[in-house]
Amino acid sequence: MRTLLLLSLLIMSSAAHAQGAAPGWLENTLYGSGKLNAVLIVVGVIICGIGLWMWRMDRRLKRMEDRMKK
Amino acid sequence: MKHWWKFLAVALLLTASIAGLRVPLAPDLVHVSPDRIAPGEVTVTVTGYNTDFTAGERVFLENDSQRVCATSVRVIDGTHLTASFNVPAGMRKNLTDVVVSGLRYDGALFTEALGEGIASGNCVEGHLANSGFVFPNRPILYESIRNLHFHVPMWFAMITLMAISVVFSIMTLATNSLRYDGSAVNAVYVGLVFCSLGLITGALWARATWGAFWTNDVKLNGAAVTALIYLAYLVLRGSVPDAHKRARLAAIYNIFAFVLLVLFLFVVPRLNAVDSLHPGNGGNSPFSDLDLDKRLRMVFYPAVLGWILLGVWMFNLRDRAARLAEQLDR
Repeated sequence: MRTLLLLSLLIMSSAAHAQGAAPGWLENTLYGSGKLNAVLIVVGVIICGIGLWMWRMDRRLKRMEDRMKK
Repeated sequence: MKHWWKFLAVALLLTASIAGLRVPLAPDLVHVSPDRIAPGEVTVTVTGYNTDFTAGERVFLENDSQRVCATSVRVIDGTHLTASFNVPAGMRKNLTDVVVSGLRYDGALFTEALGEGIASGNCVEGHLANSGFVFPNRPILYESIRNLHFHVPMWFAMITLMAISVVFSIMTLATNSLRYDGSAVNAVYVGLVFCSLGLITGALWARATWGAFWTNDVKLNGAAVTALIYLAYLVLRGSVPDAHKRARLAAIYNIFAFVLLVLFLFVVPRLNAVDSLHPGNGGNSPFSDLDLDKRLRMVFYPAVLGWILLGVWMFNLRDRAARLAEQLDR
């Protein structure tokens, strides 16, 4: 949760700097295959985000299990 | 079968994601070479996208509704063909369109030797073979139009979760019960997960189409302010030690926060006084204008419903875990 928010804030803050420069590798990646790569990256981010949430849920349950054992 | 909606969520996400990634874009012309013509014998090479050129494509040039038919057309493969023309002098406009079997490339050729017009050729229109179920093919967007089925549902899921949170907040005020207060904050936590995903995916899509991760678009700033308002909600809760006081204060703040969310995401961006890059905002045409046969919607609506159900499921898990933790504390 916090990590995700930090990441999004980071993107927001770096946007001003990114506007001037046009890094070639980024364009090549995002614009590849008729901009299909932009879709794949977006899908990847969503899967990773939900995965991160699942991981934290897992830890939350694990803590409760540990407390129940005590 | 009280779990039916979870199966529905998975089924909807599966179909919408597969369709969102697999449905081809409509065929279109993407490149014409050379980019200028002069009177005389001219051969141009046309490149298509998702086209399936076959022998017998009808090609002509069009300048101010006056046409020059191709003298010969040679199909190289499904996406390339060359066409020869006998270009007359005296066309009226300095940009000439290229039309291949109903597909048009506007202003493809810079035209020399302008004049008072030419004798329009009687060219056959022709049509490409029906390409089945396709998404609109738009310049700048191209394949990234598929992000409509992934980026936008994040916001629908977030708004649904924030609405659920507001309902629990109202119930907190009505009953003075801490139980509903816990559910309200859990809905906000899950809503913020979708908000973060919406911001990140939006930034990536913006980079691929608008050229920057973040622009001063009114809807982007509205979304950022909304995220900050809900972060402040969490900070506010953390700063009040007394549980009952915290519940009432947070509930009242949450109602205001939801009103601001609606204002910042729906009302302000739609005012014609502001410019927006988002479709359907600030006087822009929405995607529905490009998609006259509603094919995007046939995938978009299931995707939205699927992501909303997944968000509610995540909220359900988090809320139950929080309940268990409370019972353990006692």
